Amino acid sequence: MESMASAAIFYGVAAVVLGSALYVVVGRNLVHSAFALVAAFFGVAVFYVYLGADFLAGAQVLIYVGGILTLLLFGVMLTNRIYNLNLRSGAIQVVPGALSAGLVFALLVWIIQSVDWGAMDAGDPGPTSESIGRLLMGDYLLPFEIASVLLLIALMGAAMLVRRRGSGSS
Amino acid sequence: MSDAVQSLSRFLPELILMGALAVVIVADLLTQRRPLKSSTDLLNGITLVGLFGALVTSWQALGAVEAQSLFASMLADDGLLGVFRPIFCLTSIVVLLLSMRSKELEGVRLGEMLALLLTVTAALMWMAGSVNLVMIYLSLETVSVASYIMVGYLSSDRLSNEASLKYILFGAVSTGAMLFGLSLLYGMTGTLDLYGVRAALAEGAFGPGLLFVLILIAAGIGFKIAAAPFHFWCPDVYTGAPTPVTAFLSVGPKAAGFAILIRFFYLGLAEPAGGGAIAPVGGADWQMLLMMLAVITMTLGNVAALLQTNVKRLLAYSSIAHAGTMLMAACVLSVDGVQAIAAYLAIYLFMNLGAFAVVILAHRVTGSFEIDSYAGFWKRSPLLTVAMGIFLFSLMGIPPFAGFLAKWYVFAAVINAGLGWLAVIGVLNAAVAAFYYVKILRVMVIDQETGPTPALAFSRLDLGLLVLLVVPNVLGLLFWGSLDRVTEYSQTLLDLG
Repeated sequence: MESMASAAIFYGVAAVVLGSALYVVVGRNLVHSAFALVAAFFGVAVFYVYLGADFLAGAQVLIYVGGILTLLLFGVMLTNRIYNLNLRSGAIQVVPGALSAGLVFALLVWIIQSVDWGAMDAGDPGPTSESIGRLLMGDYLLPFEIASVLLLIALMGAAMLVRRRGSGSS
Repeated sequence: MSDAVQSLSRFLPELILMGALAVVIVADLLTQRRPLKSSTDLLNGITLVGLFGALVTSWQALGAVEAQSLFASMLADDGLLGVFRPIFCLTSIVVLLLSMRSKELEGVRLGEMLALLLTVTAALMWMAGSVNLVMIYLSLETVSVASYIMVGYLSSDRLSNEASLKYILFGAVSTGAMLFGLSLLYGMTGTLDLYGVRAALAEGAFGPGLLFVLILIAAGIGFKIAAAPFHFWCPDVYTGAPTPVTAFLSVGPKAAGFAILIRFFYLGLAEPAGGGAIAPVGGADWQMLLMMLAVITMTLGNVAALLQTNVKRLLAYSSIAHAGTMLMAACVLSVDGVQAIAAYLAIYLFMNLGAFAVVILAHRVTGSFEIDSYAGFWKRSPLLTVAMGIFLFSLMGIPPFAGFLAKWYVFAAVINAGLGWLAVIGVLNAAVAAFYYVKILRVMVIDQETGPTPALAFSRLDLGLLVLLVVPNVLGLLFWGSLDRVTEYSQTLLDLG
């Protein structure tokens, strides 16, 4: 009974994630699309909970929903004229596009069915933040440091992009 | 933790680069109010010292001690990384010198550009050393993000912006595909470590599913080395980017892409079969995949180059063709192929950067990148014409220039591996390539100039740069022995023998 309910919630959330993600792409109003993205991100956080990744779920909400999306919404709403802008992403070559997308989808389904993924039983979920912290400061120290270098140059690049045009030389 | 501290002593070139990066960022902030010239000179100096320090330390580290894994098996400090480190440092040093003489970058504040150059040099080293899927992705992404910014550095230039945007879009798609492939591979094998991947794949046959994953990952690597059919960004980005950045992209990321290709396929997807040979595991025929990529890349690059009228576009297609030639060597399935790639890159560095140096110096007077604008160059500057001739003959692979040696390594490895048909396609391609390289020379020597012809003046830096790039191309054959000894180190891959 419990697993039935669990499965029902899972598929319900999956439907919300897919539906809102679709709306983000096809929606005409930028602000509506941004709000649909909130639902998609929240849904993904729920998936993390299902996988027993409590820290990741929290980080997802804090960073994506709380940080990035809020910033995105501010950006959209503070930009003149964009609020009422009707976006229409043109669709060209619908048939070849749909065909190749369908082909890739079929291929992926087939691979997911055919490969032995060696799935493990996760057991009872427990707090993961301690082991993540130990790994980041131990085995994954170098990737952790390199990620900070990556963020540093991304920051520099962003600062460079927003620098007023024409004053690039001063 | 002690492992990390111990690893630092073999991480010296990267540490020097990161130190120089910190100094450049601070110095750039402190000199904001100073006149452009003095601040640029200071920053160039710091960057040059950092790169030179990294070059010296990486040269000293080359083959000094036995192969060892660093930072809890994130990086492999072995002969392959040892040979690639100096290649990256030399590339960046030449690119730095080129950027000092580039007309496009004149009057532009270069602080960020130099910081990016230092970062990207270190990131290339991380790429070449990574033996962990996380490291492969992170280092590749660092190189990509830095390259996007460098390509769009001239924020007031429309072409530069367009190139950057195209690069980002193609880059996002291909790294996305690669990341998806890596995650599927992780799902199949349950480990991020390349040696663990190999062990898991050796146990069972994964067949077509694995091949699909490999195609996804090849898309990411193919994007970096500009192999067809992942090359679409290449001509536009090469044309739009500031020319020193183009020169950098055509050598640095390409070399690191090949290092990752070798690590991923030779260590992660194959097991040692004795005598330096390897045997694929997991039941996916990736040798065939690489051979197809090599043939398509070579042929497409060379044929498309025939039609170009812009010299940067032509060199873009020529660099695609050279990637195809090196991909042939990657199909060899033994350490001979690894050495061939390393030797090819070591020589390609001088011949390709040389061609770009001539393009940059010519642009100072002609203000154009069209091949037609080179008409009558022989009379205006015999020196530049002769230099260009040497670089182009070297790119063609004609003896006695060093390019011949590069081609020789690749073809010898391919023929020794019994892939005669591949070598035949390679030779045919080299013949096609001769047409478009000679076309540039024909315009320079035979065509008559129209309109006014301002004389060319060289600074001491220009002459030094040309000598630095010409000498290895001319005297390459004399140093065959030393090149062979040095690149032989690249055959020592950690855990391969």
